[in-house]
Amino acid sequence: MSDLALLVEDLWVEYPARRGVVKAVRGVTFEVHRGETLALIGESGSGKTTLGLALVRLLPKAARIKRGRIMYYRNGTSQDILALNAEELRRFRWQECAMVFQGAQNALNPVLRIEAQFLDTARAHGLSDANAVRERAVELLKMVQLDPQRVLHSFPHELSGGMRQRVLIALGLLLQPQVIILDEPTTALDILTQRSIIEVLRRLRAQLDFSLIFISHDLSLAAELADRVATVYAGAIVEIGSVYDIFERPRHPYTLALTRSVPTVTGDMHPLASIPGSPPDLIAPPLGCAFHPRCPLATDQCKREEPPLERVGKEQMAACWHWREVNP
Amino acid sequence: MAVQTAPIAVSLPEEVRPNLWQRLTRNYVFRRVIKALATIFVVVTVTFFLIRLMPSNPVEIFIQEQISLYGMSYQEARDQASALFAIDLDAPLGQQYLEYLGNLLQGDLGQSYRSKGTQVVDIIRQFLPWTLFSVGTSLLISFVLGIGLGMLMAYRRETPIDYALSTFASLVSSVPNYLIAIILLVVLGPQLKIINIASMRGSISPGVQPGFTLHFFLDVLYHAAMPIFVYVLTTIGGWMLAMKSSTIATLEEDYVTVARARGLKDGRIMTSYVGRNASLPLFTQLAISIGFVFGGSVLIEGIFVYQGIGQQLIKAINQRDYPVMQGIFLIITVSVIVANLVADLLYSRLDPRIRLGQGETK
Ligand SMILES: Nc1ncnc2c1ncn2[C@@H]1O[C@H](COP(=O)(O)OP(=O)(O)OP(=O)(O)O)[C@@H](O)[C@H]1O
Ligand code: SF4
Ligand SMILES: [Mg+2]
Repeated sequence: MSDLALLVEDLWVEYPARRGVVKAVRGVTFEVHRGETLALIGESGSGKTTLGLALVRLLPKAARIKRGRIMYYRNGTSQDILALNAEELRRFRWQECAMVFQGAQNALNPVLRIEAQFLDTARAHGLSDANAVRERAVELLKMVQLDPQRVLHSFPHELSGGMRQRVLIALGLLLQPQVIILDEPTTALDILTQRSIIEVLRRLRAQLDFSLIFISHDLSLAAELADRVATVYAGAIVEIGSVYDIFERPRHPYTLALTRSVPTVTGDMHPLASIPGSPPDLIAPPLGCAFHPRCPLATDQCKREEPPLERVGKEQMAACWHWREVNP
Repeated sequence: MAVQTAPIAVSLPEEVRPNLWQRLTRNYVFRRVIKALATIFVVVTVTFFLIRLMPSNPVEIFIQEQISLYGMSYQEARDQASALFAIDLDAPLGQQYLEYLGNLLQGDLGQSYRSKGTQVVDIIRQFLPWTLFSVGTSLLISFVLGIGLGMLMAYRRETPIDYALSTFASLVSSVPNYLIAIILLVVLGPQLKIINIASMRGSISPGVQPGFTLHFFLDVLYHAAMPIFVYVLTTIGGWMLAMKSSTIATLEEDYVTVARARGLKDGRIMTSYVGRNASLPLFTQLAISIGFVFGGSVLIEGIFVYQGIGQQLIKAINQRDYPVMQGIFLIITVSVIVANLVADLLYSRLDPRIRLGQGETK
């Protein structure tokens, strides 16, 4: 267990809403190893962002963490994230775990130059040597393929969307955090910019040492970056495994449906397997397996009993009663 | 940590180096100053022609008055008017206008027609500073206080302190300023005998020597206290409510959440992230407020017998002293325009998105 960076156990997050309680994260368990990239894949509204926000405890005020544990490990010490006080939490954020938000086009303070935002981030974490911070910023901005001098002296509105996204990634790496969470870092961008961001991320993965949690609804993007993939359905992880296993031998019908909607290496597109049925209602999720109303393999058992996440391969887990019949 | 890749992504299309004129016309400050000057010019022109062309214009009324009061001949009265208004009435209108402009540029606004021999410029020079002082001070106080209290309300949303301040703010901002002034006058003065209103009249106490002394400064404040208090009271509610809603909106902005994610300290987030952005829209309202308070000063100075330009205007109106009225109107307008300009330039300093050619392009 010594290479563990993050351990999440049985995490439940709810939002009280007018119609009832939205169960956005339902009993999620996973671990992130040092230096690995874990992709969290799922359709819109499946609870990915909520999960990410819970890890840095930035959930909206109304949200409640009902149950669970989040443990963070570094240099042989461990921290219980849900037990941190305000000051410990402030230092944990960005210094240990940086989260770059979904649709972060407006993530930078419009009235401060980029340089000032690098400097105040560093100062908040006790780095007062402005020159050292500037040097590090220049280095990181080069790594994300920006012109450091120009960018540092710009205001956010003077940069394009893709440039801002890169600035945020560079800013995320400023304090050498052990874990970085990127929530849909490419979703708002055009195809070419998406590609270049992915390239930048690949290069950073090779050059620097950090663990990456990559949140996306796009399995093909995940395939380019991830070491392991977890598919999320209705607030729960329904399958997790190495990127190879997930693509070659998915054991959950939902993962299978997702992989079928991805272009294969040979170039021929499978017909986009739009999964029949509508996304689940998180206020009153279906009894038994949450996926059963849309699952071609569903049986009576599926409607009554919720399948546990169980080991289905050497390093692969799935939550399906009939996993043996998926890709037999 | 070797950097293997050359930066490529941000090479902008090479811009053509703009010449001096283009640089000037693109410059926000330059354009704003020009705009202000143009506005002043228009006001000056309109004032002139209104007064000269109205069927019962002041000059004509004055001439008729002189004739009926003193039995002057028309020509005598007309010469008198020329001297007082600093206009040569015999010249064609166009030439009159140019002379009027020339006189203005030299600071010649004509003479008072009630107290003979008194230059309008001297009246302005004597009384305008007091109004600028009281109006400026109260704007500053109410703006700064309003921003602070508005943020407090937003941060303590839906707590008793927010309810109390919100009620106060909506109450004071809905009562007209002269009403508040009169209530204060009656309640604090004769009724409660808390303050001696009579001793607060004027702009300084008799016998106090102007100069950089504490005594003088305190005396000035003492006399300006009531007008300032009324201006602050009537404007602060608006600032508080505006700042509250702006802060609430800003707190929802991504960059505030991201600032928290970056582990910034709460104080830093409150000032540089929330406060600075939330107060931006208020600076545009500052310009409007300046005109409002200035206009209000006419009534308030009358009520408190504060020796400012507003009171002089009332006096001039009562006495139908047209040259003085015209001069004061002009100087109030110019003050408001200049104050607007200052507010705008301040705003452009604070919001980088407005700066240098970025703003006003659409
Ligand atoms: N502040 C909130 N209040 C109430 N419900 C919320 C709130 N934020 C999210 N939800 C609900 O929680 C569920 C999970 O939302 P979340 O944003 O975590 O999903 P997601 O997987 O990130 O989706 P997307 O791909 O659209 O970003 C959704 O049903 C959403 O409607
Ligand atoms: S448990 Fe049943 S319903 Fe759920 S995914 Fe497996 S087969 Fe489908
Ligand atoms: Mg999301």
